[in-house]
Amino acid sequence: MNILISDSWLRDFLETKANPQQIAEYLSLCSQSVEKITKENQDFVYEIEITSNRPDCFSVQGIARELACILPRFGIPAKFKEPPVKETPPVKNGLPLEVKISNYDLCPRFTAIVYDNITVKPSPSWVQKRLIQSGIRALNNVVDISNYLMIELGQPMHTFDYDKILKHKMILREAKEGEEIITLDGQKRKLKEGIIIIEDGEGRIIDLCGIMGGKNSETDENTKRVLLFVQTYNPTKIRKACQALSFRTEAANRFEKGLDPEGVIPAIKRANLLFEEWCEGKVASQLFDIYPHPQKPKNVSVSQKHIEKIMGIKFPLEEAAKILESLGFKTTIETKKESLCAQIPHFRYDDVNIPEDLIEEIARIYGYHNLPNFLPPLAPLDFQSESNFEYESKIKTALKYWGFTETASYSLVSENLISDKNASLKLANPLTEDLLYLRKSLIPSLLKIAQENPQEEKINIFEIANVYLPKGKTSLPDERMKLGILSSEKNFFQLKGVLELLLYELGIKNYQFSPSQKQQYLVKEATITLNSQEVGYLGEINHSAFPWLTLQKPLFVLEVDLLTLISFANKEKKYLPLPKYPPIIEDFCFVFPPQTFVGPVLEEIQKISPLIASVKIIDSYANTKTFRLVFQSREKNLEEKELSPIREKILTHLKNKFKITLKTNQ
Amino acid sequence: MMLNDQINNLKNEALGEILESQTKEELEKVRSLFLGKSGKIRELTKNLKDLPPEEKVSIGKKINETKKAIESAIAEQAKKFTAQKQSSWIDVTAPGEKPAEGHLHLVTEAIQEISSIFARLGFKRSRYPEVEWDWYAFEGLNMSKNHPARDEWETFFIEDLENEKYGKGILTPHTSSGQLREMEKFKPPIRMINIAKCYRRQSDVSHSPMFYQFEGLVIDKNISIAHLKGTLDFFVRNFFGPERKTRIRPFHFQFTEPSFEVDVSCGLCQGKGCRFCKAGWLELGGSGMVHPKVLENGGIDPKIYSGFAFGWGVERTLMMKKGLQIEDIRLLYTNDLRFLKQF
Repeated sequence: MNILISDSWLRDFLETKANPQQIAEYLSLCSQSVEKITKENQDFVYEIEITSNRPDCFSVQGIARELACILPRFGIPAKFKEPPVKETPPVKNGLPLEVKISNYDLCPRFTAIVYDNITVKPSPSWVQKRLIQSGIRALNNVVDISNYLMIELGQPMHTFDYDKILKHKMILREAKEGEEIITLDGQKRKLKEGIIIIEDGEGRIIDLCGIMGGKNSETDENTKRVLLFVQTYNPTKIRKACQALSFRTEAANRFEKGLDPEGVIPAIKRANLLFEEWCEGKVASQLFDIYPHPQKPKNVSVSQKHIEKIMGIKFPLEEAAKILESLGFKTTIETKKESLCAQIPHFRYDDVNIPEDLIEEIARIYGYHNLPNFLPPLAPLDFQSESNFEYESKIKTALKYWGFTETASYSLVSENLISDKNASLKLANPLTEDLLYLRKSLIPSLLKIAQENPQEEKINIFEIANVYLPKGKTSLPDERMKLGILSSEKNFFQLKGVLELLLYELGIKNYQFSPSQKQQYLVKEATITLNSQEVGYLGEINHSAFPWLTLQKPLFVLEVDLLTLISFANKEKKYLPLPKYPPIIEDFCFVFPPQTFVGPVLEEIQKISPLIASVKIIDSYANTKTFRLVFQSREKNLEEKELSPIREKILTHLKNKFKITLKTNQ
Repeated sequence: MMLNDQINNLKNEALGEILESQTKEELEKVRSLFLGKSGKIRELTKNLKDLPPEEKVSIGKKINETKKAIESAIAEQAKKFTAQKQSSWIDVTAPGEKPAEGHLHLVTEAIQEISSIFARLGFKRSRYPEVEWDWYAFEGLNMSKNHPARDEWETFFIEDLENEKYGKGILTPHTSSGQLREMEKFKPPIRMINIAKCYRRQSDVSHSPMFYQFEGLVIDKNISIAHLKGTLDFFVRNFFGPERKTRIRPFHFQFTEPSFEVDVSCGLCQGKGCRFCKAGWLELGGSGMVHPKVLENGGIDPKIYSGFAFGWGVERTLMMKKGLQIEDIRLLYTNDLRFLKQF
């Protein structure tokens, strides 16, 4: 959350000669980050990002407090100045207010005070200017005081017209489902159970606590008596209310971070002064202050060893104590225990709880830029193979060099890219309908990419990504990494060849392609198995399975389970002595019966004799295929008397098993 | 003796014809005439069987030598033809025939580069679920159910997915969920680099609903802020260039204490300040010392061990490289091939 504050306002709280650039740089280095400085006439406006743990810094006062201790560390003197205040005077027979709080947990501190004799008019122009610089609209002096003090001190407050609170009674409680309030912005808001509200003596809801006041009790130009209201609320309740109402305000942003109950009285005292100076207001009631459980002092200790362990350098406790003191901590060094004990200042009460919190304070003010750079020790780790990552990278690189382009598409897809939506994971709060289901296959995404690139003559793409297979309502899905390839250029065998070469690169030998009809969107499909485990499929897209697909050309795809594939990968290299005897190479021309699968034939031939070093198809026309066989022995020169029985065996086997015959020249 | 003469004649005849041959084709004819299946050498060997055994050996040897001489003469002659060809004119300015051209995705290249830099520091790569339980992404990282810090992460929830122990099923909004997963799996020392897809309910020029983060986690005895600084510096100088500087500033995360924002000096203005940076610095991402509560949640004793962690967007880091000012981060995931083929 960012805050805008002007340089002149900051200097009300800070005596220093530092220029705005120095302020921005050193504040960013040691505390909150200055995102931007804008020059405005003679003034500068800082935009500062305030981290959620530092609601105290969500104010001019908080930033000044930080700077007062940071700037001197850079050699620039700086001093924090307390703002002028007016003590609450004792009032005899003050105006009454009856307050009932249903549960103190909702509102740890409740204060209120009435000012009489108010003249409602525009604020002084310098006040208006400061508010505008901080991004807040100036309205009138009464409302402006509450906004001004919110920016200045970080404590939001609200002003009621005292005379509009019927019976001068307030009941702070949780709303019931369905109750309504019209807030200051004129919106009617239906309340949910648990939202903190205030009703007056007549049962009217007059405040949506911590977020915005009610229209029915707002101050207007006729207001004479103002009830100023300064509270702290249960931050979780405020946050939940904002979520339930989808409504946020500057005040709520502060309350939901948890505010300092000890900051309430100083805020009232400051308000006393401003009401007097800007509105001629007079305190007309006692200070109503309900604070049943005051903050108890809180101490946190940290040892010198611990400081050194986290900062990485030797650090004297005295130096640590000095830094903490400058930030408002009260410290005691326990020499015997080599540790220091710090009492947390009230404005940091919720933020500092453990030794590490103190170390952060010490280290940031000392300056992270003053710490050395080390590399972590190379201590031995529990072994875990990283081969999945190596292979993944190798596969991607291979495909790149074989002419494929890697795509990266969203894991989330629209309904028409999912085949079985009832068995797919769906987002409960999608951003768009295009990103609704977690995909179970990469192929539809690849098709969509092909479709959306009509300018490309030929498409050769691949992607490696997870798919998500649901495993019930109480278990995380099975995330499986897939390799998907799509080509509009390569035919079935060329794409198959890509996969075969990939398998070869991975050292995988025992694989099989078998005809199948499992994917409804494929024609000419093969299932790929490794060691009889199914790992994926390859085939041609059936265009009619995708009504949105307008591409006409044939598209071939394959999808394999990458980690299963990799689990069969083999890096082992075997050495065979080079052959000493020459091979004998012979070509055979066979006639195949129609629709005979050639894979099993090749396997069959190979199995016939160990002397068959290799068998390949070198030519194929209609039903005729030419096979080239290489015969080789490691022991001797092969002679005809050894070859002829092998030839015989091949011919009879092929004839008996596949009805394949040797082509005769006619 | 007659056979011996025949062999000599045959050799001379062959060598003559070889030298006279003018083209590769002519040479091939000579080869087949003398060395072919039914060539003249083969014819000669047929005579061997009629010879007495002692002559058989010497003549056989002679035939073999002749064969070798012819072979080497053919090889010599063939070289001439090749040399001739090389001297003839070709258009060296004509385009070459390239192998197929492919492309890796920019993010893949960045991930490969990032992981190799951290590998040199002995970091081990990990990858953890993208569909994750609330516990690992939030609750276990010290962000209770209603903690306002959760607002920083615009989280996608999965319909009908909830576990009694671990809470709701979500798409992990950061790789920090891998911290607890790593701690559950391994004992310290830990040096992890977890690079994975993350998802947030945001889409604009600088936010993609799906993006990558890389998360570093180091846990050992006496790990300090100085170790974090050294590691960041090592990474930045290797990834962006030796002239780039790093700094850490205070920040707040629930799962680290202290927490930092990491800045890198701007590569465009060399840290002087320009419209692409904030006073000479670019924000890289968050980091911090692992919160003791998170160590405890991961089963590690914070009294013995300490650690640091950082988690940054891969795309954002990539785009801070010179020459890669891509105007809309979502371009990385729209798969326009004209874009993908640029890299």
